[in-house]
Amino acid sequence: MPGFSSGGVGGGVGVPASAPPRPFRPSRYVPVSAATTFLVGSTTLFFCFTCPWLSEYFSSVIPIYIAVIFLFTLANFCMATFMDPGVFPRAEEDEDKEDDFRAPLYKTVEIKGIQVRMKWCSTCRFYRPPRCSHCSVCDNCVEDFDHHCPWVNNCIGRRNYRHFFLFLLSLTTHIMNVFGFGLVYVLHHRQQLDTPHAAVTMAVMCVAGLFFVPVAGLTGFHIVLVARGRTTNEQVTGKFRGGVNPFTNGCLRNISHVLCSSQAPRYMGRWRSPQAMEVQPPFLRPPLTEAQLEAKVLDNGIQNDRHSTRSKSSLDQMESQSADAEPPPPPKPELRYPGLPRADTEESSLLTEAPPTPSMYKYRPAYNSPGRNHTALTHPNKMIRGESLDSPSPSILMSSRQPNYRSEPSSLDGATVVGGGVGVRRGGVERGEGPGGPGGTTGGLSGGMSGYSLTGRSYTSYPSSLVLSTGGSRSSSLRSAHTAHNPLATLQSEGTTDTSYKSLANQTPRNGSLSYDSLLTPSESPEFESAAHELSPQKPHALFPSATVTSQPEVVSPSTRLQGYTSPFLSAQIAQQREGQLLQGSATFSSPHRAYLRAVSPPPPSSGPPEIQHLLQHNQDSSSRASRNPSSSSSSPGVRSLEPPVSPPPRGLSLGKSHSYTGEAGPQHKPRPAGGGTVPGGGGAGGGQQAPQSTSRPVLGNHTTSKPGGGVKKVTGVGGTTYEISV
Amino acid sequence: MGTEMGQKRHSASLANKVFIQRDYSEGTTCKFQTKFPSELESRIERTLFEDTVKTLNNYYAEAEKIGGQSYLEGCLACATAYLIFLCVETRYEKVLKKIAKYIQEQNEKIYAPRGLLITDPIERGMRVIEISIYEDRGSSGSSSGSSSVSGSTAR
Repeated sequence: MPGFSSGGVGGGVGVPASAPPRPFRPSRYVPVSAATTFLVGSTTLFFCFTCPWLSEYFSSVIPIYIAVIFLFTLANFCMATFMDPGVFPRAEEDEDKEDDFRAPLYKTVEIKGIQVRMKWCSTCRFYRPPRCSHCSVCDNCVEDFDHHCPWVNNCIGRRNYRHFFLFLLSLTTHIMNVFGFGLVYVLHHRQQLDTPHAAVTMAVMCVAGLFFVPVAGLTGFHIVLVARGRTTNEQVTGKFRGGVNPFTNGCLRNISHVLCSSQAPRYMGRWRSPQAMEVQPPFLRPPLTEAQLEAKVLDNGIQNDRHSTRSKSSLDQMESQSADAEPPPPPKPELRYPGLPRADTEESSLLTEAPPTPSMYKYRPAYNSPGRNHTALTHPNKMIRGESLDSPSPSILMSSRQPNYRSEPSSLDGATVVGGGVGVRRGGVERGEGPGGPGGTTGGLSGGMSGYSLTGRSYTSYPSSLVLSTGGSRSSSLRSAHTAHNPLATLQSEGTTDTSYKSLANQTPRNGSLSYDSLLTPSESPEFESAAHELSPQKPHALFPSATVTSQPEVVSPSTRLQGYTSPFLSAQIAQQREGQLLQGSATFSSPHRAYLRAVSPPPPSSGPPEIQHLLQHNQDSSSRASRNPSSSSSSPGVRSLEPPVSPPPRGLSLGKSHSYTGEAGPQHKPRPAGGGTVPGGGGAGGGQQAPQSTSRPVLGNHTTSKPGGGVKKVTGVGGTTYEISV
Repeated sequence: MGTEMGQKRHSASLANKVFIQRDYSEGTTCKFQTKFPSELESRIERTLFEDTVKTLNNYYAEAEKIGGQSYLEGCLACATAYLIFLCVETRYEKVLKKIAKYIQEQNEKIYAPRGLLITDPIERGMRVIEISIYEDRGSSGSSSGSSSVSGSTAR
């Protein structure tokens, strides 16, 4: 029945997608051994020395009652210790192919009208379902993660929370019994306290009394959690401090869910039935609808020609870029399914969607090199696809198709990017090719593309601002920056990922920052609009300002605003820089923003970008170096794995006094969880784990290479990625 | 469309995989999105797909239902110090078996003839339903590409 999931040896039990065996750490077993010793030892002594007298003096029901409670305690203790808490198996490679490179660190999902973020787990390679968290001790993502309990040396998650809770209740009862009846014994033997029986009873009473306080406290804490429908992790990280918990169904239902629901199945160590299904052609096909037939007529063989070459070369370059900074990303989809020429399909599909809208190309692949630093691609698209976005624009883009299978440059405006995304990525990523390679092939495609191709920086983001203001898009990238305010703002008013930018952006006017005022105008309302649409009307408005403003208004706002207009790949650090500059009223930033203003009209001045790019480059260099994630859970490189941002170096390099988002986010979160004893400590570990990780991703540096004529500026990033900005 | 008619292929190779994500709009109860993915536009009728997903959702809802049976099961487990789990299957496991059978049957009847295969979500930790799309080996990738593209543009 119970699967042994804890312990240092072997993260997974005989299942393909599990962690490799980890080194044996005896220190992990100390608390659980101590707990077992105390529990069993003290109770045994009690039974041997005190119970005989009790059964004689009162009745034998008493020892039987105590024994029953003790057995119940022991059973729940064993279940809590040995039962798999609900570990998710690692995602197979195929699954995350869509989340390559530029996939966002976060995906938002709406639960009962409340936006909840799902974070990408770089170890397990999937977006963590709501309430799931990655335990660094066990190195697994656990469903409905509560905390990692050192006293049972196991995570407490969906499957064993009930046992843990019952263990606490029964242990409290048991301690009270032992203490109470021991006291009775002692009071009746006041004159014989020097006998061994009395001495032992008193010792047992001491142990019981000693443990009673923390155990009872913990029990009370969990009773409150169960009634509120929260996990320890959520409580300790303050996720629902504003009071909006999407996972609660009312007190009674919460309690019955914990105590009365059927035992959840385990995911690991399952017997996989051999795939006996034969799939043989010829295959049935559904009849094409009229619309499909029309579309077929329309796409008259534009596919497969130039794009295949471009895509392949760009793909190669992408891979080599990433090799610069971090270990190479997983192989491209074509390598996984060698049977088919992937590139063709995708390119053709790309082409079929004729003139992509400007915003689609906003987010260039540039950020590939640090691995998966970047955002927006597939996931916002996926989100949009799967989610409640009903707006027409996303659907057009979403029709994308195949891109789904590949990572796409989704961007802040996820929806819009989809179509152009793939093409953009291909064209843009080419390293150092300049206009030549991609430019040539780009031709018609990137003609449209380049117009909007964003280096992912602020300059060309004007389309994004437009898109953002339409409120339809979901930006994924800067969530990392936004994460600083993570528990509060995120859950409450995030709306789409976009909102993270917008919300930050909206803070800026309050600070009276000059240069962004005009820029803010288009996007200000959308933040609350989109939030308002999705959330309960009053709450986001009320909560969000309180959440963000009270926490770190100055930090939050400018960067968000910046992020709102910049590429999703912009890390929080760069955002901070910008923020610092903003606050200083630096002129350098004004030009890119003018660029945004001109989104509606002619191209932005070229003076702005270079300076900023230098800035960004500095930042990126340092940030990419600095952002190696120390935490164990994010061992794999990639966009999403950029976790505890080491702030000092980037800060040092950053021009202004940009606050380190991450720096602030880190300490901000760490002390909180680190507070309490075992449980809060364990929960804090989980929570603290999340918080620092939520910070920025490294941003690639940029320096412009001005290109004469053509109205297209080539920008090369640190990794050598090249993208075109229309000037 | 069905251009494979003239070409008799006896092998199929895995071309693509579609992942149907979970629908979290009602909380963490297990439910999958019924939205029809564009990759399947040209492979299977929308209604068939939606029926499959809806049936699966119903099964999962039944498994997670908190009612008399699950309550009794819990009490019995407590009373026997959970030793009962050694002998009897939990309700959820029983439903999972039903689901596995259902998926097998759907694969045999509906999906395999169309070159698709559904993987039981439990193997993926119930996070996604994985649908593998097969192509005739050697058949032009463009045909599948174009058909799916045209399908997608049509949307």
